[in-house]
Amino acid sequence: MAAAGGEERQLLAQRLKAAVHYTVGCLCGEVEEEKDVQFSKQIIAAISDITFRHCEIFAKDLEMFARHAKRTTITTEDVKLLARRSNSLLKHITKMSEELASSNMEQKEKKKKKSSTAKAERTPGEQESAVTENEDSNMA
Amino acid sequence: MAERGASGFRKDTVDRLLRLHFRDGRTRVNADAQLLMAEFLKVFVREAASRAARQAQAEDLRNVETEQLEKVLPQLLLDF
Repeated sequence: MAAAGGEERQLLAQRLKAAVHYTVGCLCGEVEEEKDVQFSKQIIAAISDITFRHCEIFAKDLEMFARHAKRTTITTEDVKLLARRSNSLLKHITKMSEELASSNMEQKEKKKKKSSTAKAERTPGEQESAVTENEDSNMA
Repeated sequence: MAERGASGFRKDTVDRLLRLHFRDGRTRVNADAQLLMAEFLKVFVREAASRAARQAQAEDLRNVETEQLEKVLPQLLLDF
């Protein structure tokens, strides 16, 4: 049972590495244009590899942060903590998180207007996973 | 955040990447956090690439190789 699971995991990891490699290639292509340089195949592969490996560190950190807050769902607060080491990174992530939060609020307002029945259950302000969880239902 | 056809990580790819490494089977990532992490990873990659490119330019090279990456890697990892 464990062996079969291990193989599946390997396959999944391979597919994910390929997906990362593809996106890294695209992003490097953008930087090539912006800075008028050329990236070698080796360096693109190296950046993909580093990114993939770092996901393990990020994932474990995020899981720890959520657990520390006694949650099993990782939220934007955990991601902000992950971004703490560089001020500019933290600002960038915080800004995006605020934009997401305010666009969520707008969506909530629209729904509220559409349905005339008043639902008093929601907590305003702090956006939790409640509304947004419905979206990720396409996980195979 | 709209840029000229900018590339990035797909939300579900990011989710699967993270779930590969969770220790607890119950751990999930909420949708906004997935989007944020997609951005986080995109910034990570772009920083790695941009810093290596800047290093190459400082060395008067137009081709960016792993040598340049090696030089910028320590600071990159400290910043992330």
